[in-house]
Amino acid sequence: MIENNLPVLIIIVPLCAALLCLLLTGINRHLGRAVVVLAVLASLVMSVMQLGLVIKNGPIHYAIGNYKVPFGIEFVIDSLNAVIIVMISTIGFISAVYADHFVTDRRPLLHGAYNTIIALLITGLLGMASTGDVFNLYVFLEITSLSAYCLIALGGSRGIVSAYRYMLVGTIAATFYLVAAALLYGATGTLNMDDMAKILSSGDYDTVMLLSMCFLIPAFGIKMALFPFHGWQPSAYTHAEAGTRPLITGVMGKLPAYAMFRFFYCIFGTDFRYVRYLMLALGVFSVCSMLYGSLMAMWQNDIRKMLAYSSVAQIGYISLGFAIGTPIALAGSFLHMIGHAFMKGGLFFCTGAIRYKFGTTDLNDFGRIYKKMPLTCGLLTVAALSMIGIPPTAGFFSKWYLASGAADQHYWIYIAVLVISSLLNAVYFFKLIEKVFINEDAGLKDKWSRGPELPLTMLIPIVVCFVAILGIGLFNAKIVDVLLLTLGEVGL
Amino acid sequence: MRKLFTVIILIVAISTPFFAFDVLPVIGDPDSAPNSHVSDHYIEHAVEECNSPNMVTAVIVDYRAFDTMFETTVMFLAGVSVVLLLAGRPKRRLISPSAVKKRGRTVRGKAVYETVNKDVMISLIEPLILIYAVYVLFHGEVSLGGGFQAGALIGMTYLLDVMVGKRQRPIFNLSKFRSAALAGVGPFIYALTGLISVFAGGMYLEYNRLPLPVHQAELHSIGITAVEIGVTIGVAGTIITIINALMERISFDDDND
Repeated sequence: MIENNLPVLIIIVPLCAALLCLLLTGINRHLGRAVVVLAVLASLVMSVMQLGLVIKNGPIHYAIGNYKVPFGIEFVIDSLNAVIIVMISTIGFISAVYADHFVTDRRPLLHGAYNTIIALLITGLLGMASTGDVFNLYVFLEITSLSAYCLIALGGSRGIVSAYRYMLVGTIAATFYLVAAALLYGATGTLNMDDMAKILSSGDYDTVMLLSMCFLIPAFGIKMALFPFHGWQPSAYTHAEAGTRPLITGVMGKLPAYAMFRFFYCIFGTDFRYVRYLMLALGVFSVCSMLYGSLMAMWQNDIRKMLAYSSVAQIGYISLGFAIGTPIALAGSFLHMIGHAFMKGGLFFCTGAIRYKFGTTDLNDFGRIYKKMPLTCGLLTVAALSMIGIPPTAGFFSKWYLASGAADQHYWIYIAVLVISSLLNAVYFFKLIEKVFINEDAGLKDKWSRGPELPLTMLIPIVVCFVAILGIGLFNAKIVDVLLLTLGEVGL
Repeated sequence: MRKLFTVIILIVAISTPFFAFDVLPVIGDPDSAPNSHVSDHYIEHAVEECNSPNMVTAVIVDYRAFDTMFETTVMFLAGVSVVLLLAGRPKRRLISPSAVKKRGRTVRGKAVYETVNKDVMISLIEPLILIYAVYVLFHGEVSLGGGFQAGALIGMTYLLDVMVGKRQRPIFNLSKFRSAALAGVGPFIYALTGLISVFAGGMYLEYNRLPLPVHQAELHSIGITAVEIGVTIGVAGTIITIINALMERISFDDDND
């Protein structure tokens, strides 16, 4: 019973926890949070089971309400989104465990509502990854964005301003997406992705596809913060609520990128007449993004802002893979999507932990912090090395796949930009490592001095990210094999 | 320079669709793709498959019930966010009661809605609105109406109750916490309806697998009604939550004469 309904249960279990969280918090102060954490853990377990089934039996098609496609809504799980769902639920689980230390106001209403919104954010992200329906994707996009607006606005008065800005820009993005979906619906009369792809592949709809492409690139560009559309991102990531920042920065930007891939490669297909313009546009945006993000990150003094700008650059790597289009390059971008979620999530887990212990986020205060927080600084170092792209971490292999894909297609300029951007990354991440290990001790006072380094629930996420970054790097060939099960068919 | 750049982009972006938007189908064209591909199936089969004479209801809460579930969740999410964001801020009266000078003394003005005695009227109207809400809820399957409208009506009753205020016994009194919890229970009933069909061995939201001893077609009606009740509770709870969160911070004073 559970096995047949895995795709939908993964989403419904956290949803039910979110809906009941307030009620349960009213009964007992800790019950609401416990249920949310357990529900996300349950969906992590189920997503691993689902990944196993997908690898063994091939893609799962799940028709909700048992209506024939295209009349009902369908979930399609292939090896790509099965991997991404595992990634989301892992980071969702460790953030749900971690976030509770940053709650300042523990009145039942606020504490319950906070956990509700975390669970809904995870639900929205999981839904975006699972769905095979164009309008259903929009609904999940709305849930994700609304809960993200709220979580960003919780980060103090600057957070409110950045959340407001993000809300204005994000609403425009959602509208663009809706216009594009409406155009495609007007041409095909269906909302199911597979069915739409079948109808569009006849080649009679090139104009509509070109037009909706013009709406989709800015729509997803804004949501994933690609270079010319990134305006909302640095302040939003900087001032987001500290406990959920890893989830927002690590995962939220990846899902629009995944949706973009679904649209351009699975619905439009590589036989689309204007595919060259599409790839050129994506390539230009990614190259600008990689250079601009790295340059801006170099002269930031606040570590949160530095990491936020570095995210602009890293999103550029992901869309660069889409701009190259060979299966290997696409596998590189998906590997980067997964790896970067753990790297950026891990870095923000570290900054959150440092703020929790010492109450600072200024880079200049980090002198010799490694003596007091060895585990945190270990993750900080590994994640930074992975960002630069040093083997055997995850970052090196994803860049390697991207570069070899670019070499296959003779895009030498992309390889050059990839190398330049990595060198710029090295400049500011070695600056970070230098501050942590070599600079004078700034004499910070501990705010948390019980026990060894940090509370246990804060150490779990840090250890998980540490293992994941190295694990993805060491077992990259296995992951890429799984990804290629699907990518082999859709790439160039 | 930057402004000029923006204006140029705007002009290009606005003028392109004028040349390209002829790809959209003509309004009301029976042969256009949206009117012939999926819609035909809904028109021909909705009544027999969903046992609902109202095709719109059949599409919203049966064929595409999953979307509606998350739309209801969006309502709940909005209510919870409002509570969370407003409650976390320092408590300050946004609209401070202005002082009115009368015969040399400072007298605080009374709000207009308090100066008119609407008590009698309201206690007549409120039960009627509630009855109408129940009618809209249960009739949604057959004709116009449905959960969202019924929820809005119940929320409006509460709004009237709060606005008139200062009465001895309000029809119902919900705290912010209880209304927010109630708003969550609504969508949960919706999700539970789907889960029950999963436990009975069907797919999610497959109404004709609900474990009830009635005829197959009747099961769809029961499923639709259960889902609509969930939507009603969710929407009403959300509206009441938002009213509560706002009322806590605002003191009305529109009586400046």
